Amino acid sequence: MPSPPDTHQDDRYEAFIQHFAHWEPDLRRFIRSLLPTREDADEVLQQTALVAWRKFDQFDRSTPFIKWTCVIARFEALAYRRKMARDRLVFREDILDLMADEGLSELDHRQEEQDALEHCLSELPEKQRKLVTLAYTPGIKIKDLAAQAGSTAPAFYMRLKRIRHQLMACLESKITSP
Amino acid sequence: MKSTFTQLTPDQKSWLDSYLDQTITPGDFEAMQSSLATDPAYRAIARRYLSLDDFLANLPAEAPALIKKKVIPFPNLIPLAAAAALAFLLGSALMLWWQPNQNPPLSSTPSPSPSAQGFAVIENLFNATWPANTTPHQPGDSLGAEHFRLASGTAEIQFFSGASMTIEGPADISLKSAWEAHCSQGAVRMKVPPAARGFKLHCPSTEIIDLGTEFGLVVKNGEGQVEVFDGEIALTHHNKEEKLLTKGQALTLSQTGPLSTLASGKISVPNAETFRPQAAQELTTSFQAWQKHRDTLARDQRLIAYYTFDQASSLIPNLTLPRNPELDGAVILAEPVGGRWPSLKSALEFRRPGSRVRVNIPGEFQALTFSCWVRIDSLDRRYNALFMGDGYENGEPHWQIRDDGKLMLSIMVDQDKPHPTYPEKSRYHHVYFSPKIWDLSMSGKWLYLTSVYHPASALVSHFVNGQKVSSETIAPDFLVKSLRIGNGEIGNWGQPFRKDPNFTIRNLNGRMDELAIFDTALTDEEVQSLYQNSRSTHH
Repeated sequence: MPSPPDTHQDDRYEAFIQHFAHWEPDLRRFIRSLLPTREDADEVLQQTALVAWRKFDQFDRSTPFIKWTCVIARFEALAYRRKMARDRLVFREDILDLMADEGLSELDHRQEEQDALEHCLSELPEKQRKLVTLAYTPGIKIKDLAAQAGSTAPAFYMRLKRIRHQLMACLESKITSP
Repeated sequence: MKSTFTQLTPDQKSWLDSYLDQTITPGDFEAMQSSLATDPAYRAIARRYLSLDDFLANLPAEAPALIKKKVIPFPNLIPLAAAAALAFLLGSALMLWWQPNQNPPLSSTPSPSPSAQGFAVIENLFNATWPANTTPHQPGDSLGAEHFRLASGTAEIQFFSGASMTIEGPADISLKSAWEAHCSQGAVRMKVPPAARGFKLHCPSTEIIDLGTEFGLVVKNGEGQVEVFDGEIALTHHNKEEKLLTKGQALTLSQTGPLSTLASGKISVPNAETFRPQAAQELTTSFQAWQKHRDTLARDQRLIAYYTFDQASSLIPNLTLPRNPELDGAVILAEPVGGRWPSLKSALEFRRPGSRVRVNIPGEFQALTFSCWVRIDSLDRRYNALFMGDGYENGEPHWQIRDDGKLMLSIMVDQDKPHPTYPEKSRYHHVYFSPKIWDLSMSGKWLYLTSVYHPASALVSHFVNGQKVSSETIAPDFLVKSLRIGNGEIGNWGQPFRKDPNFTIRNLNGRMDELAIFDTALTDEEVQSLYQNSRSTHH
């Protein structure tokens, strides 16, 4: 007997993508706090998406989608950590566990911080804002940026660091004031 | 309680930045993790900071050509045209805002430093044998996240959490952290002091959490048997069945089925205590063998100095024969500590910055071989002295280890001529380096180091534990045929001619158990045999 067109499968896929697209930034932020680099976080995010899709049948609609994917992400981060070369500086498992546990309960804070950060960024002098935007553009290597500017990578990192500190101070003044 | 980034300590801040920039040194990373482990506020701020990093990385691009990373569901690639546009944009944008003289650039990125990745150490081995294709371990080896496999015999492992594990082979234990291990085969006795409560030991079917206790676990063919000897453990079987077990209780942990009770006293796990008398006997035998070796070596006519550092006095005798008290060394600030046979023989520790042993070795020599048993705790100084000629005058040796773990031997060629590369700072000589022979993971382990200066064959060679690690030709310009020592120091350098503290303080943070100097170039075989005859089987 020929099988009917799998409309159920299509609907499920649609629902999954909607959920995932909506929560992706939160999930990515969560994963970022567990691993050394953005590239590592991207890898684990992709892997998490695959696993979540495979297990989407088991997803219990009464729990928040983001919590469910964060739990998957935590396991994927641990698995990724074990695969990483031993000389890479990646958090020990006990720290990764703590960061994940506590990070899971801070998802709402993280969302609130995003608006504050937008604000803080807009308050930066234009030169600094451009520098930080450029330095964080995907595919950009600080080394290359520095070389083009006739400077050194350490000097560049120093400037970026100062800007991050400024943003952090601004962010914390906005979220900690009553 | 601190709750903002500015309230972090300067170290905590700089660790976060160098972690983000991927320039953090392994040592700093370890310190950062210790701080994260104990300081919840630091963790919270770290997450906020990392989330800021993520925020910046995901800003909408300023120019339309800068395609934002899309992760799902397509692979993220910057199209070629966009990359070209980006390169152009970079060039012009940089010119706009970059003012090179605004901030002084840093001189260099931090150099990578050795790291201690381990979280456990092998305390003792009793008749241990190892499966084929695995590297045999020795007591004192540090262990990280790895499989520990034992073919037969017994091993005692001390975790940095305070937990200790005695394992009887055949065993296969996967070490996860100072707080966690998986046992897929073997007989294990765990001792968990209050400080290490919460240590997790897994077997194929069950997770066991130690609540401060002593218990045994035997795993064979996937099935486990567990018994509590003292205290209490909590276990979770197949992720669902939970149980508390107290002193005298025992269970069979079925690979597929539920838990079942087991009579106490049924399981047999190793007890390190029963091996102690045997180990003590072996230690004594090994020490007696060394004493014989010492007495034989002292008669070797090629020896010009031989110190064993085991006299509790301010003088250490030069054991070469015939004995000449004029050649004894004077101990300054260096302290007697346990040597290679801890309860039987002492060594000297040079931890305090002023500590040293002063010696006088007269004569002129055609070649020199230095050898010593040394235990390095850390390489704190730029240069860490083993044996140093006082004035570093023509023909005098400097034998030391640089902070990057390389062994160095040099002889002053011409003290009246400037150094070819550093004319302002140094005189004419050349340093012969070994490859890196030491890193922090070897901290506290006894090593036998040998370096040979042989003018006749124009070669300088370095050896570690009897094995040659490097050999370098002496260039004709640097060849010194007549060697001298005169006044010198062990473990420090007394008369440097520079004021810079990086160079003047060279005490070795570690201990020395034996030092021998020969007026000849020992052959590779002789170095190997000296190592074999003087080593302690305990190590």
